[in-house]
Amino acid sequence: MSITIKLFASLREALGEAEFPLALETLPAADIVDGAVSVAAIKSALCTRGAQWQEALNQPNLVHALNHKVVYVDAMVADGDELALFPPMTGG
Amino acid sequence: MTVSVQAEPIEVGGEYAALVGDTPGAAVATFTGYVRDHTGDNRVSVLQLEHYPEMALKVLQALGQEAGARFGLLEWRIVHRFGSLSVGETIVWVGAVADHRGEAISACEFMMDTLKTDAPFWKREQGPEGTHWVARREQDEQRRVRWEQSEGG
Repeated sequence: MSITIKLFASLREALGEAEFPLALETLPAADIVDGAVSVAAIKSALCTRGAQWQEALNQPNLVHALNHKVVYVDAMVADGDELALFPPMTGG
Repeated sequence: MTVSVQAEPIEVGGEYAALVGDTPGAAVATFTGYVRDHTGDNRVSVLQLEHYPEMALKVLQALGQEAGARFGLLEWRIVHRFGSLSVGETIVWVGAVADHRGEAISACEFMMDTLKTDAPFWKREQGPEGTHWVARREQDEQRRVRWEQSEGG
């Protein structure tokens, strides 16, 4: 079971990665509910990668998009899903 | 009733002609956004626009459909660029055709206010003072929220 994480803009730059797979089995078993994991749990898991990740992922106003839709951190992510993390959008 | 997310410059004349071409609406409104040579005190020479391709298409498509339903549009079109843009180049173009001017103008404003905060594009300005990511403006947030509070535009 694996999901795809995508990072954009300043977040991509700060963490030096644009896209990578994340195996759900690597997350704490307690976080896995019916084969799915919350966005918050994924963020916590990514924060263990180091101080840079902690700082970048804990910034206020970070946006989470699950399969191209903006969601809150309680949204559940399952096998095959795509979770994108990025700063507030500034198009137009 | 289509969206284009493209690297190429926007052919404003061609877009306008295509928008009104087959739709004999009484009122046509469009908005064109260009790269400014400054933001506040910072001089800008190049604007880099990063985007999330799949999500950008979906968000803009849904936004156009919402505008169409909300303002009773006969036709609409949204074009947004990405990549490296020089000062004076087009960034965004929206167009709306309706029976009356109020709906057409409001639809363009609604589409612009909403895409600025909801469509996954990020601006990075490059100038003599260096390069930096553009921060979300409070003003943009307020303009967006306005549409949630107003009834039927």
